[in-house]
Amino acid sequence: MEIQPAGEQEAEKASNSYLMSLVFIMAGLPLPIVNLIASLIFYFGNRKAGYFVRWHCTQTLLSQFALLFINSTGFWWTASIIFGGEEVTSAYISYLLTALIFNLIDFGSTIYAAIQTRKGIHVKWFFFGDLTDRLCPPTHLPS
Amino acid sequence: MPANTPSFVKILFQLLVIAGLFFATWFGLRQIDWLQIFQVESVSRKTEEKIGNLSWELIRKTNHEIKTKEPVRVLEKLADHLSAVSGIDPDHLKIHLVDHDEINAFALPDGHLIVFSGLIRDCRNEAELAGVLGHEIAHIERKHVMKKLAKELGLTVLVSATAGGHHNSEILKETVRVLSSAAYDRSLETEADQTSVQYLIKAGIDPKQFARFLARMPKEKDESPSGIFSVSTHPDSDVRSKEIMEEIGDQTFESNPVLTEMEWKSLKEKVSEEIQ
Repeated sequence: MEIQPAGEQEAEKASNSYLMSLVFIMAGLPLPIVNLIASLIFYFGNRKAGYFVRWHCTQTLLSQFALLFINSTGFWWTASIIFGGEEVTSAYISYLLTALIFNLIDFGSTIYAAIQTRKGIHVKWFFFGDLTDRLCPPTHLPS
Repeated sequence: MPANTPSFVKILFQLLVIAGLFFATWFGLRQIDWLQIFQVESVSRKTEEKIGNLSWELIRKTNHEIKTKEPVRVLEKLADHLSAVSGIDPDHLKIHLVDHDEINAFALPDGHLIVFSGLIRDCRNEAELAGVLGHEIAHIERKHVMKKLAKELGLTVLVSATAGGHHNSEILKETVRVLSSAAYDRSLETEADQTSVQYLIKAGIDPKQFARFLARMPKEKDESPSGIFSVSTHPDSDVRSKEIMEEIGDQTFESNPVLTEMEWKSLKEKVSEEIQ
C-alpha cells in the first residue's frame, strides 16, 4: 500500500514530528527521557490526525525509545563515575563514542526524513519502519 | 492483517542486526586504548598525588608527627612486609606516625598511610597492628580511597581542590575528615577486611589476632571515646570480627613474627613516651 499525505498540512505535520524529536534530542542529551516525553506528547497530540501523520509520529516515537536505552545507559554510567566513584575505563569511553555514532546516525536520518516527509515523500527506516507498519496498520485506523 | 504487513520474524531479525551493529561497534572501539589517547590515567594519578600531598600537609600542620627514627622504622618494617605480599610497591606506601590518642589509622590518596600512636598503644601484639595496617593497605591497593572521595565530594570538586586558594583548603579539610572519620561502604570495608586477612596469611601472621582486636573494640568504646578505627569509622567491628573468624574457619596458623620482641617493645615504649 502506498502511504501518502492527504494534503500539504499533513506533510507539514509529519515533518514536524521529526523536527520535534530533533530539537529535543539536543535538549534531551543530558537527560535522555526529555526527548522521549516530547515525542510522546507529539504522538498523542496527533492521534486523530491523518494516517500519514500518525505513521510518521509512530516511527519517530519508536526511534526515540531505542535512543532512550542507549543514552540512559551512558547517562547513568557517567553519573556513577561523577558521583559513585566508578573509574573511567576504555569500555566507558568506547560506549560514549558508540552512543555518539548512533545518535549522529539518528540525527542525520531524522533531518533527511523531515525534509522528505515535508515534500510528501514517505520515508521508511530500517527496522523502525517495519515495526511501525506492524503497530500502525492502515486497516486498524479510520481513514 | 494485510498481506504486506512485515512478519514478526523479519522485525526480530532487523532488531538483532541493529543490536549486533551496536555491540560490534562498541567491541571494535574497545580495542583502542582510549585511556592512553586521552591521558586519563596520568591526569587522575597527578590529581591523586596532589590531593594526597596536600591532605597530609594539612594533617601535619594540625598534629604532631612523630619523627623519631626508631618507631617509624619499626612501623615501616611491618608495613613493608605486608606490602611485599600485597603487590603494592613499598616505595608507593608513605607511612606517617602521628601522636594522637585516637585508636585510628587511615589511608589518604597516593599511598599515604596515617597511623595514630593511640592505635599502637592499644594493640596487644604485632599481629593486631598488622591486621589494621593490612586493612588500610587493602583500601589503597583496591583504590577505595579515591572512589570514596569521588563519591562523597565529587570528582570535579576534588580536581578543583588541587588548584589552591582559601576555598580549596576547606575542601582539603573535608577530604581529611571524610577519610579519617567516615566509614567506607560496607562492601568496601568487607573487601578490605578479607584482603587484609589474605595479606596476613601470606605474610605468616595469625589473622585471628586481627579478628580479636576488632571484637575487643566495642567493649573499649566507653574507655576510648574518640577511638575512630573501631568505633566511628568502622561501626560494625563486632560483626566484622565474626565474619573474619567465619572466613578463617578451623585453620590454624603458625606465628612467624616480623618484628623482634625488642622492636615491638621499643615501638610501644616510644609512642607512649611521646604523650608524656
